[in-house]
Amino acid sequence: MRLNIYLAGVGGQGLITFATVLGDAALRTGYKVLIAETHGLSQRGGSVDVHVRIGDVDAPLIPRGGADVIVAFEILEAFRAVSYANEDTVFIVNRRLIRPPATRQRIPRIEELEGILRNSIKNMHFINAYEDAVKLGNAIYENMVMLGALYSIMNLGQYIPRSIIEEAIKANVRRDVDKNIKAFALGLKYGSGTA
Amino acid sequence: MSDCTVRLMLGNHAIAHGALEAGVAVATGYPGTPSSEIIEYLIDYGREFGVYAEWSSNEKVAFEIAYGAALAGARSITAMKHVGLNVAMDPLMSSAYTGVRGGFVIVTADDPNMWSSQNEQDNRWVGLHAYIPVFEPYDPQSAKDFVKMAIEFSEKHSHPVILRSVTRVSHVRGPVTVCQPAKPRYAEGYVKDPKRHALIPANARALKEELIKRWGIIERSVDELPHMYVEGGRNLIITSGVAFTYTLEAVKNYGVRASILNVVTPVPLPRKTILNAVSNADRVVVVEEGDPVVEQQLKALLYDEGIRVPVLGKAENLFNRVGELTINSVMDGLSKALNIVNPLLSKNPVKIDYTPPPRPPVFCPGCPHAASFYELKISTAKAGVKPIFSGDIGCYSLGINNPFNEQDLLTNMGSSLGLGMGIYHGTHGGEFVVAIIGDSTFFHAGLPALVNAVYNKTPMLVVVLDNRVTAMTGGQPNPTSKVDIGSVAKALGADYVSTVDPFDVKKAQEVISEAINVVRRGGVAVVVMKRGCALEATRLFRGYVVRYYVDENACKACGICYNLIACPALIPLENRKAWIDPYMCVGCSVCAQVCPYNAIRPEGNVKEWLSKWAEM
Repeated sequence: MRLNIYLAGVGGQGLITFATVLGDAALRTGYKVLIAETHGLSQRGGSVDVHVRIGDVDAPLIPRGGADVIVAFEILEAFRAVSYANEDTVFIVNRRLIRPPATRQRIPRIEELEGILRNSIKNMHFINAYEDAVKLGNAIYENMVMLGALYSIMNLGQYIPRSIIEEAIKANVRRDVDKNIKAFALGLKYGSGTA
Repeated sequence: MSDCTVRLMLGNHAIAHGALEAGVAVATGYPGTPSSEIIEYLIDYGREFGVYAEWSSNEKVAFEIAYGAALAGARSITAMKHVGLNVAMDPLMSSAYTGVRGGFVIVTADDPNMWSSQNEQDNRWVGLHAYIPVFEPYDPQSAKDFVKMAIEFSEKHSHPVILRSVTRVSHVRGPVTVCQPAKPRYAEGYVKDPKRHALIPANARALKEELIKRWGIIERSVDELPHMYVEGGRNLIITSGVAFTYTLEAVKNYGVRASILNVVTPVPLPRKTILNAVSNADRVVVVEEGDPVVEQQLKALLYDEGIRVPVLGKAENLFNRVGELTINSVMDGLSKALNIVNPLLSKNPVKIDYTPPPRPPVFCPGCPHAASFYELKISTAKAGVKPIFSGDIGCYSLGINNPFNEQDLLTNMGSSLGLGMGIYHGTHGGEFVVAIIGDSTFFHAGLPALVNAVYNKTPMLVVVLDNRVTAMTGGQPNPTSKVDIGSVAKALGADYVSTVDPFDVKKAQEVISEAINVVRRGGVAVVVMKRGCALEATRLFRGYVVRYYVDENACKACGICYNLIACPALIPLENRKAWIDPYMCVGCSVCAQVCPYNAIRPEGNVKEWLSKWAEM
């Protein structure tokens, strides 16, 4: 088994926590995991990506065109991630537009951006992670909603039991563990994968 | 082994844990991406096992402390980023001459692709330059194993060892077998040996002879290390470091038929091991991240041995020297070297009709640097000066972006003052120079330069952006928490010194204007803009944070707030009015102060929040 999961987002959206929880859960289940992260200067509100590789893997980076699934925490970042996609790649995109500050370029409305993505990508899933997270009291839970969405859409239950994801949340998230577990559960509604 | 468990671990944490398992007693470093988590881990977890771990004021000091500990006989480690090692080069060169008593490992975390750096120097050269062996791990597990090996090797040969990591080892998380830390091995005392430890020329000459002999022994000893050989036919690929992992995948998944030899030590090469592998090969390809360090040594070795076999690599431009390796670039090179089809090229790319605008990193919401740059811009414009903004290394490098454009030069730690003085003298005093430097960088390399400005009477405005922590690398503490920068500047004899809060927009502009007048009269002026990093403040004082909102009716859509401060929490609406994202705003109050219509208002007690924040 080999799963290449490419995460794209904006610094501060919790991609590393997402990857750590997922990776830790996979390792607890008995799979090898490699996660390549972005740290340092590029973290400050800029574009960030994280490569998560599970199963039979040796190298840290996903090949271009080699992602099984792309999880975009922000819609513009989904466009930037396409070089990692092939025609079978599943896209899971947060319905959220974060304007790059101080840009002069006109940015299309989110509905337009959604339309472009739907026209070009075969396996397209949009997630209201921001809305769901805000319902739980804070946008900070967005990442765990996205994780729930990934888990159900990609049917990861066939590899990693839900209870182990919850164990990994408890082990890796510092604050408000219950809310994070709830956020994960909220994300499960986006796919049909049994959980 | 019963004490060991497998954990998902960051490469840098694995390096640090390897040091704990090896009984390292003294650990030092200066933060720098991608190295910072090594010393962080040793401070957080090592201290409870009795390890002495510290953030030093710069890499040279860090190096000397670990080196001194090893001279006494303790096991020690020092960790820094690749360019940090330049700062430590002076003691590093000497350490090969004196040798050490306790195991001494120098970790250099190189940053191919310059994710967070000003260059991508390959520090394996330093090993060749200084006669110090270099161990190069390829993933988190090998990082832990190689550190332990390096400590043992160092102690056995009484010689320092460099461990070269790269971003894709240091910042990769993977499974690591973690065992109990060993008891830290401190020295019982320091036994004097000035003939060896005091490098006056007479001693140094004798020690150089000895060093060359020791290097010969080290060259033979590296053959005994566990280099990895994977049998796969008469094409031989020699790898070092993370290149091994891509090559392994190329062989396993993408139809490359070759044997692989991965060396633990790119410097010096394990000669016997290599000659053995080459004797079964018709063709040799070298894959390594960075410069052709292995490739060039290999060619020299084969020439010396009279072996004529094709060696392919960076000399043929098969693999990139710029940027990091990827499986794509490795397969690209290997398919050309071995005349095979690259299966990665046959994948159908996904085409999409829209390219989003770039999203460079920006100042965080509530970042005091954004306020400082705004005030500096307004004050210099009001005073009618057109300064050269000589910048430096830190989050404030982001002042290079719109709307600020206040980082005209920026090359290395502390360069703001040095290059600034050069611009002044090089233009025969024709330019007005503003040197902008952070608190940690000020203590790191700014101090001697400020002394020089005072001593050589070079007029300059030095703006110290004191946000109380080394923010860019994750908020590490630094001397600013104990040593007051304003007092230091006064003691050094600067003509004008003032400390001001950049969140007091009016006052900050007044102070900068005064300082500009001092510089105009030929003085050295130092303005310390003191206000804690917003990320740290909101983490430390969570319950106190106040937010601002825009009164829609009062907002006149002038755009001053979002155009001039460029806070990510300030968002222009379709009607050009401003909106504040409540989840991003941290209540710094700066936008409210610059709003000419009093349309930005707080929800809660701002005074209390800002004075709490000022406790940092």
